Amino acid sequence: MKQMKNILLKIFVLAIFVFAMNYIYEKWFYEKGLQEYSDIINLVRKVQNNSDIIYIAESSNYSTRANDTDKRAISEFISEYYPNKRLGTIHKGALHAGNYKILLEQIPEDSDVETIIVTLNMRSFDAAWIYSNLETALQKSMVLLKPYPALFNRFLLSFKGYDVKTDKEREVQFKRKWEKDKLIIPQGLEYKNVIEWDKTMAREGIKNIDGTINYKTTALACHYIKTYAFQIDINNNPRIKDFDAIVKLAEKRNWNLVFNLMAENLEKAEELVGDNLVYLINENRKLLIERYTNMGVLVVDNVDNISDNQFTDQHWTTEHYAENGRKIIARNVADSLKGIYPTEYFKVKDTLQMASCEFFHDCENKSAWKQMNTITKEQAYSGEKSSKTGQGDNYSITFEWPIVFIPDSMLKTIEINLKILQKEINHDVMLVIDASGYKIENFLHEVPVSELSDGNNTWENINYKYNLPEEIKKGSLLKVYIYNPTKSIVYIDDLKIKFYPN
Amino acid sequence: MLFNTIQFLIFLPVVIIFYYLLNPKYRWVLLLSASYYFYMCWKVEYVVLILASTLIDYFAGIQMEKQKTKIKKRFFLILSLLTNLGLLFSFKYFNFFTNNGNFIFENLNIAYQLPELKVLLPVGISFYTFQTLSYSVDVYHGRQKAEKHLGYFALYVSFFPQLVAGPIERFSRLTPQLKTVHKFSKENLINGLRLILFGLFAKMVIADNVSIYVDAIYKDPSIYSSKDILFGVFMYSFQIYCDFFGYSTIAIGTAKILGINLMDNFKTPYLAKNIAEFWQRWHISLSSWFRDYVYLPLGGNRVKWQRWLINILIVFTVSGIWHGANWTFVFWGCLFGVIYIIEKTFNKLFRINQPNNTFSIINVILTIKTFVLVSLIWIFFRSENIEQSFQIFKLIATNTEIETALNVKLSVFLFLGLFILIDIFLYNTRFDYWCNKQHFIVRWILYFVLIFSIIAFSGVEDFQFIYFQF
Repeated sequence: MKQMKNILLKIFVLAIFVFAMNYIYEKWFYEKGLQEYSDIINLVRKVQNNSDIIYIAESSNYSTRANDTDKRAISEFISEYYPNKRLGTIHKGALHAGNYKILLEQIPEDSDVETIIVTLNMRSFDAAWIYSNLETALQKSMVLLKPYPALFNRFLLSFKGYDVKTDKEREVQFKRKWEKDKLIIPQGLEYKNVIEWDKTMAREGIKNIDGTINYKTTALACHYIKTYAFQIDINNNPRIKDFDAIVKLAEKRNWNLVFNLMAENLEKAEELVGDNLVYLINENRKLLIERYTNMGVLVVDNVDNISDNQFTDQHWTTEHYAENGRKIIARNVADSLKGIYPTEYFKVKDTLQMASCEFFHDCENKSAWKQMNTITKEQAYSGEKSSKTGQGDNYSITFEWPIVFIPDSMLKTIEINLKILQKEINHDVMLVIDASGYKIENFLHEVPVSELSDGNNTWENINYKYNLPEEIKKGSLLKVYIYNPTKSIVYIDDLKIKFYPN
Repeated sequence: MLFNTIQFLIFLPVVIIFYYLLNPKYRWVLLLSASYYFYMCWKVEYVVLILASTLIDYFAGIQMEKQKTKIKKRFFLILSLLTNLGLLFSFKYFNFFTNNGNFIFENLNIAYQLPELKVLLPVGISFYTFQTLSYSVDVYHGRQKAEKHLGYFALYVSFFPQLVAGPIERFSRLTPQLKTVHKFSKENLINGLRLILFGLFAKMVIADNVSIYVDAIYKDPSIYSSKDILFGVFMYSFQIYCDFFGYSTIAIGTAKILGINLMDNFKTPYLAKNIAEFWQRWHISLSSWFRDYVYLPLGGNRVKWQRWLINILIVFTVSGIWHGANWTFVFWGCLFGVIYIIEKTFNKLFRINQPNNTFSIINVILTIKTFVLVSLIWIFFRSENIEQSFQIFKLIATNTEIETALNVKLSVFLFLGLFILIDIFLYNTRFDYWCNKQHFIVRWILYFVLIFSIIAFSGVEDFQFIYFQF
């Protein structure tokens, strides 16, 4: 009995010890620890009490391109559509659903938050991201935010009570996963797994015109394979568990939940690797949309909404978009939010560069058309310069524009107006309208310039109208240029392109 | 598995509970399995190396005992030496030799490249190979009977508390304890826990916090002021001490709970009055190993003065090489040897007698002198290469104009102060014994402070124990 009393007394003293320590830590040291190791909490605190909508994301939200005129984040563009709703943003590079969940749990139950928009990044389901070398640091930054007593959280931090692994160990993990996972494609895949696919691509390579391997492009293709060649296993993929947990949290908190499925560079995937990779991406896309729509989440599908030229990182796979890309995603999210806030939606003036359906280049300024290397001072209709073709320079200055930026209603007729100077009639010189994209076969409409001009060695005006076929809407990129494979020189100037309804 | 992880905090109680519940006849099985599991947490494949070393030394030991002639015995000794030193050479020194070889070829314009091995250094290889080597040499000389029980021998090689960073135990000390039936003792538990607590404090609160500043300075010393660099140099002395002392203390505490007494590896080394005493107090298990298996076989001090000089330099140089495959370690070892000789000669010539009172003014001055010397020699140990070591010495002298940039947290000084104070109290004693002598209130206040600081003020970077790399 006495021994029992003794033990109970010691347990009691120990309990007091623990409570006292927790009290002291929480009162005087916890906040300092948060600021030192988990300062992301400040973003949550900033928005938790003054937001109706919270947008939570990784770097896709705020990454910009140097020449963007409007460098605002996706979330800021969205907020324009709902001026009466307060939209708060929580974002930090490399965050993923596992982190989002912990951050969202920090929002007090009595906050004003009504809707949460969560970035659903398909790439985050891939082994390379799940076992990324950034994971240890990310996990560490979340430990103090876990829903346990403050001292226990600090104990976990001190005794490495989170996923600590070296870069080498992480590499072993994702390589093992790549090796283990079988890729199932209806028409069958000739590679056993990602490793084999990647190795074959690296060995065979993407060839230059002269037949040599283009190592830079091959490396990028290999990277696309390693990034996107996976099929989400809903039973074992940790991201599925994380997103599911977010759904449950939203249900518990009575939040409207929106998953913003980010755009991937399908054009590059298709161009570098081919249909099989695009198939896998689309399968994962379908799975995510179906799964979370069935769970009552509003899923915004942006996967193929952004064309290649709007991806800021051309030599890596990221979800970093240039201004128009961010605006398109924001518009899609805003449109989807109409279902939640039908009366709050405010039609924002379309500030996408596509709002203009007239384009002009006088060969004088440096606005970014393609084939600017053909600009010369030898001849000019206006100003001092024109674009010179022939004798090896086959392509003139080229109008190149993402089709998604041109409203469907305008994508009916194209009118091309240009000035041309040619010494002789040449039937091989063509005016070309070219549309490409992974959803359509290459579309080419060619008109011999000889049908449009006399070629009498003076500047002539060419005006050409063409009714664009319906299928062109499936394309990604539209190009207009003069194609001159001959030895005779042709100059063009003051190129004007206009789209309008029939 | 690291001592300062949750994994170990779960592993240890599980082992202890099963250890005392199990029939003593089978405890070696549990400890051996636990030890192998403990080791395999780093890299499963490298357990093969321990197994190879164990089997060959076990076999060599038995064969040596069987042989009647010295020559035959020597054959098996050489087999053991070749195996252990071969493993050590392949994994630790091969690239060092090939890199230096390639450097020489390059300078002689010889177009030949020696290959490089792309392998990770197996954790603790220098420790367990030295442990098994001592066994083979002892059996060869007849100082030790060969172990017939493979299980106990394997356990001697791999006993988890001291497997990866010592103390390097002798067979005659450790194995009889492993074979003894230990009953659960509350006293052992309490003393063991005290040691673990203090070891964790030294590693997690002092070493891991200090290392942030030390790493920053050694990463690019040129941007720091002389004061900052000196601060970094002295802080490294505490970092390496607290790191290694912390590991040894946790190891000793862990074994203590299992009823096994490991040898003390540190005895307040920074209170040493000269280099000779420093080495009697620092990494004692390694110093005594070199004394018994290198210094004494070379003739020790019972040789002519010139030969003794060479013996000392050999021992310190080999000790340097043991620490790592880099010229910095060789230089570090040599430097200790040279200073050891200078001090010994100086004391002999001038017949200096130190006062008995440890804390007399003269002794305090000598202690500070030794600490400063050791700290400066550590520069070679910590630097990436010899050039960096000399650069640091130069920058201490030249960067006087640069403004101090290090912003050291107050808590670092506070806890370091507390540690130094306890270290002074621990002069010639050990933390667990010292605690026993304190009033229960003092003891519990200390427990509270240590536990609280370990939880709330530990460094959070993932720093491994420094001696794991050796």
